[in-house]
Amino acid sequence: MQTGTAKTILICEDDENLRQLIRVVLGDGYCFLEAGDGAAAVDLAREHRPDLIILDLMLPRLSGLEVLDRLRNELPAGKTHIMVMSAWTHAENAALSAGADRFVPKPFEAEELAAVVAEVLREPDA
Amino acid sequence: MRSRSLSTRMIVASVVLAVLVATGFGILIHSVATLDEATDREAHSKDVTVATVVLEKLVIDLETGLRGFVLSSNERFLQPLNRARAQLPGRLRELERLVSGNPAQTRRARALRQEIEEYIRDYSVLLVEIARDAPAAARTEIAVGEGKRRTDAIRARFAELLSAENAVAAASAASAKTQSRRAILVAISALLASALLIVLFGLYLARSIAKPVRAAATASSELAGGDLSVRLAEDGPGELSELSKAFNAMAVELERSREDLETQNARLRESERRKSELVTIVSHELRTPLASVLGFTSLLLSRDLDQGDQRRYLEIIDLQGRRLSALLNDFLDVELLEEGRLEFARQLIDLSTVVGEQAQLFSGQSTRHTLDVELPEKPLTVRGDPNRLAQVVGNLLSNAIKYSPEGGIVKVVGERDERFVRVSVRDEGLGIPEELQKRVFGKFFRGEASASGIPGSGLGLTIARSVVEAHGGSMSFKSAAGKGSVFSLELPVAAD
Repeated sequence: MQTGTAKTILICEDDENLRQLIRVVLGDGYCFLEAGDGAAAVDLAREHRPDLIILDLMLPRLSGLEVLDRLRNELPAGKTHIMVMSAWTHAENAALSAGADRFVPKPFEAEELAAVVAEVLREPDA
Repeated sequence: MRSRSLSTRMIVASVVLAVLVATGFGILIHSVATLDEATDREAHSKDVTVATVVLEKLVIDLETGLRGFVLSSNERFLQPLNRARAQLPGRLRELERLVSGNPAQTRRARALRQEIEEYIRDYSVLLVEIARDAPAAARTEIAVGEGKRRTDAIRARFAELLSAENAVAAASAASAKTQSRRAILVAISALLASALLIVLFGLYLARSIAKPVRAAATASSELAGGDLSVRLAEDGPGELSELSKAFNAMAVELERSREDLETQNARLRESERRKSELVTIVSHELRTPLASVLGFTSLLLSRDLDQGDQRRYLEIIDLQGRRLSALLNDFLDVELLEEGRLEFARQLIDLSTVVGEQAQLFSGQSTRHTLDVELPEKPLTVRGDPNRLAQVVGNLLSNAIKYSPEGGIVKVVGERDERFVRVSVRDEGLGIPEELQKRVFGKFFRGEASASGIPGSGLGLTIARSVVEAHGGSMSFKSAAGKGSVFSLELPVAAD
């Protein structure tokens, strides 16, 4: 359905409204995958190897940090970027040291998010 | 003896000691008196001896005078004789008076007096006359021999009396000596025994007072050091036993207070933990809708969207705003219910009306669910707050729909008997696993709802049960995982 050049983004967020918001903000130029809990996020990531994972920390079943822990060693750092998005701003260091490439505080500004995602996906592949 | 008081014991011990010391001194005083008596007797013996010697001298004067006159016929020799004769009766009476206490000596003194009187009467007077008339006759062997025989006899009497008196004096001295020695011995023994008793009493005091007092002091420091389990033995004499009992009572009380404090402290810590958990949950529950509201608002502000999108996003903002408001109301309700500050109207209402209205409200919300409402013809009259009871029924309906995501029949049944009105809501949804059923009415309990993406604060049933209980009713439920649940509320019938 998507063109071969469209980047794949996995949105891991338990609130459906927020998933929709992220989709709308980022626009039609990406191929989106969605997971409502941590376990589903891990399964989808393993299956599709997305270019970017937008990961909430407070997730049912598996927390965002647990998802990071499982995926970081499996997915090549240069190929799959992981961006943690959380209201817990004090968790930024924990997220970065667990292997996240970026930390975006929640709530976020629409244009800011779009700009950060575009910037992350422009970074050269390894 | 164990229970007898300390003061009784000390008084008894003091009395025993006093008696012992008094006995010792009594014996000493008695022996001194005995010694005095012996001294008196000795002085008396001396008097007797002196009187005897004086008498003997008088008799010698008598005899010498008589012999001188017989030999010389010189009247001058009769002077001492006559003087002796004049003095003799008085002296004899004196001696008899002195020995009157001793029958043997009295007998001897009497015999002596008799012999002296006989010597004077039967011999000396006669011999003086013979010597005046026939001096030669008076100097014959017979006359002189008779005199010698009589004076010898008198002398023997004197010797006998003196030696008897000496024997009396010696005996009394010896007995006084023995008695005083014995008295001293007894007194020393009594004093030694007293000293020993005082030492024993001291040891007893040390053991029965100092030891328990020391134990009490040690226990007190241990208590002060925080070891509240320390106890004293409650035996020992009366006052110390009372002290120990008082100490133990104090320790028990302290320990109990500390346990109370610890329990209270644990409760406070638990409540503190719940509070911080509440803050975490509240902040998360509020942040998620808030993030939607702010995100869509910023999207609307920064982009040119067509009218259809604008309307869709505004609806989301509106819904999330309402969700926030509802959450805040729930938090507030729980807080007020927990503090007992929520006020309820007390009016007569037909619960059928409330159920009907709520069913109507929810029937439009889901296309996948069929609401089957079954109400009796007779009104379900109760006394209470219509808005709050509507909130409860609405909560049960909303739960039944939310927790049966696949859809199905939600059956609502109202019924009444003599005493109670009952409303039950049955769904064919997820049900509650048995291990979670105990926590169903607990705050923030959402079962596996959050994992299943079902929204909610986890406060609905907590509030519902509190409201029903505040109306004098009760709530119950039955559930099986995978088969659905039925929640019921029961309220007392009001007279209509």
